[in-house]
Amino acid sequence: MTDKIIILQSSPHFKDKDSVPKIMYAVIISLAPAIFTSLYFFRFKALVLLLSCVAACLTTEALFLFLRRKPLHSLLDGSAIITGLLLAMTLPPSLSPELAVIGAVVAMAIGKQVFGGLGNNIFNPALVGRAFLQTAFPVAMTTWIPSVMTKVDILTYATPLGNLKFENAVAQGTLTSLKDLFFGNTGGCLGETSALALILGGLFLLFRRVIDWRIPLGIFLSLTIFTGIFWLANPEKYTSPLFHILAGGFLIGAFFMATDMVTSPITPLGAWVYALGIGLIVGLIRFFGGFPEGVMYSILFMNTFVPLLNRYTRPRILGGRRKG
Amino acid sequence: MSLSARMIIVLTFVGLLSGSFLATVDLLTKERIELNRQREIEEAILQVVPGTHSSQKLYEEKDLTVYGGKDKKGILVGFAIQASGIGFQGKITLMLGTNPSIKKINSLKVIDQKETPGLGAKINDRESFLKFWDNKDCSNLLTLHKPAVKTQEELSHSEINTITGATISSEAVLNLVNSSLNRLRQLEKEGSLSSEEQDVN
Amino acid sequence: MSTRSIGQEFVKGLWDENPVFRQLLGLCPTLAVTGWVINGLAMGLATSFVLIFSSLVVSSIKKFIPSQVRIASYIVIIATFVTIADRCMAAFFPLISKNLGPYIPLIVVNCIILGRQEAFSSRNSVGRSFIDALGMSSGFVLALLILSSIREVLGVGTFLGLQVMGTWFKPWIIMILPPGAFLTLGILLGIALHIERKTKARK
Repeated sequence: MTDKIIILQSSPHFKDKDSVPKIMYAVIISLAPAIFTSLYFFRFKALVLLLSCVAACLTTEALFLFLRRKPLHSLLDGSAIITGLLLAMTLPPSLSPELAVIGAVVAMAIGKQVFGGLGNNIFNPALVGRAFLQTAFPVAMTTWIPSVMTKVDILTYATPLGNLKFENAVAQGTLTSLKDLFFGNTGGCLGETSALALILGGLFLLFRRVIDWRIPLGIFLSLTIFTGIFWLANPEKYTSPLFHILAGGFLIGAFFMATDMVTSPITPLGAWVYALGIGLIVGLIRFFGGFPEGVMYSILFMNTFVPLLNRYTRPRILGGRRKG
Repeated sequence: MSLSARMIIVLTFVGLLSGSFLATVDLLTKERIELNRQREIEEAILQVVPGTHSSQKLYEEKDLTVYGGKDKKGILVGFAIQASGIGFQGKITLMLGTNPSIKKINSLKVIDQKETPGLGAKINDRESFLKFWDNKDCSNLLTLHKPAVKTQEELSHSEINTITGATISSEAVLNLVNSSLNRLRQLEKEGSLSSEEQDVN
Repeated sequence: MSTRSIGQEFVKGLWDENPVFRQLLGLCPTLAVTGWVINGLAMGLATSFVLIFSSLVVSSIKKFIPSQVRIASYIVIIATFVTIADRCMAAFFPLISKNLGPYIPLIVVNCIILGRQEAFSSRNSVGRSFIDALGMSSGFVLALLILSSIREVLGVGTFLGLQVMGTWFKPWIIMILPPGAFLTLGILLGIALHIERKTKARK
């Protein structure tokens, strides 16, 4: 979605005063509910992370544009701001801002600019930044704090999925309630806690046709079917599909990350394959993997197949076989 | 001389020369390599069973070797168990020292591990993990204390500290210790560890 | 036959034909053991030993080896020196030998070594082959040192085990993990290519 802004432009060098800000506003408006809930639940910490990520992304982008002697005004196309916002949304609130800045620099430099800048990157830049942080600072990236609304005064806190995976929450009956997951009163990354806010933003993007509806729907279907089969087979061991939809980074991934125009397939069939693959891998990692959460890795993994999917699902020209 | 004969002669000659060379090198280094290996084990035994003057292998099976440590008078001062099990990323090999009655763990030492550096690899870190095993009462099954703590006082007497962010590696070590302790007790009951069996090795 | 001066023969291995940065050879150990400077250095020196001695032997007996069995003979010679290096390390530096694990025996399949025999030692004099092997070895050691220094300093904050980064520094654990090897090598290769292009443009 980030790069839709560019693709809609007839020329990258020509700035239409009307359409660019319009679409950028659409994206930022769609993120607004999630940003506000994160500010509400995590207060000052969320603000610092959001600002430092956006600032670092803009600075890195500017530096690369300068070094590559590209016009600096494309800095204002909004893609850097949105990468910064999305990266911040996937960080734990207790992360120190200097680490967030490292992630933002990696996101822009290695996730985007080394591939040749906007439109050429294979992987979602925000997720590249997050994957780097996750591997570089595994402890800081998995230390969670409760939202300010939680009355209990504790320092560390498990995310709903971490609780499920490492604390045997189903058997002990300590599973996070669906209501808390829905409104966001739980531990987790800045932007993943409140399902409601993300759904609102996602619906707005769908309504404005900024994102391809097949991708969120496909991810939703495959994760629901996958987790549903296990849940029906053994409800004592596995959690319901609804829990998996509402918990963790699923919604932010399905609506905001997987739908990135540059790194998702352009053909309808490709989009279906891509989306079903993401949902399936999320389920596999959550049930059988070493990590409690798998949305980031599954999207990055399916990103690698996008060029291949685009190639093999391209509609045949004139009278060719219809088969993709 | 025909080409094929030359080929055969040259290859044979090269092979013979390299073979004899290697045989010499092997002769020269074999003893030292074996010595290094033994010294590593002996040092580990001495660390986990303090006061050991001489040690001997008492029992051996797949992934479990039991050594007995004796003082100068030949009295058993403790057992050292070398045990291997699966961690988060690969095999973990430990050396665990107990007192002769298998009621107390002297200390724990990690001999080999392939856990994630900075996370699971902290099973080899004294400050956050290994020091909590020193002089631990192991008459009951040991359990993991979550979340991680900083001092011994925060743990109950059969609890072991977790490494922050590496629950799986911590659990792997704990399970390995618990199972090898059980096996050791069983072996002792069966009499397979009787200290009269001198010079097993 | 090479027409370079002896000095050029040595220097080319450091940059113009650097096995890692310019020829992209021997990437397996380059990626695998450069998490710590000590391992990178030990790997580089072990490889240098094998390369230099294999080049000496191959260049001195090149006339006797029929071309049909040359690869087989080279491999036997290389494997001999690799085994010597492996045994000696296990005997005298057991700790480093344990750290490097299977990567010492795997020097046999390092393409730098067979590549130099095939491309250089089998066509040039003993002296020239020695200088060439010395240059290539230095280039390889240099590459491993650069890579492992970056990775150890960023990944654990130490250099050769000595703390070099202040307490403010939070180690980037990714750097001593496999992804860090690929990231660092990729960035270094990019820089090497950039320098190469700049110097070509100037000429």
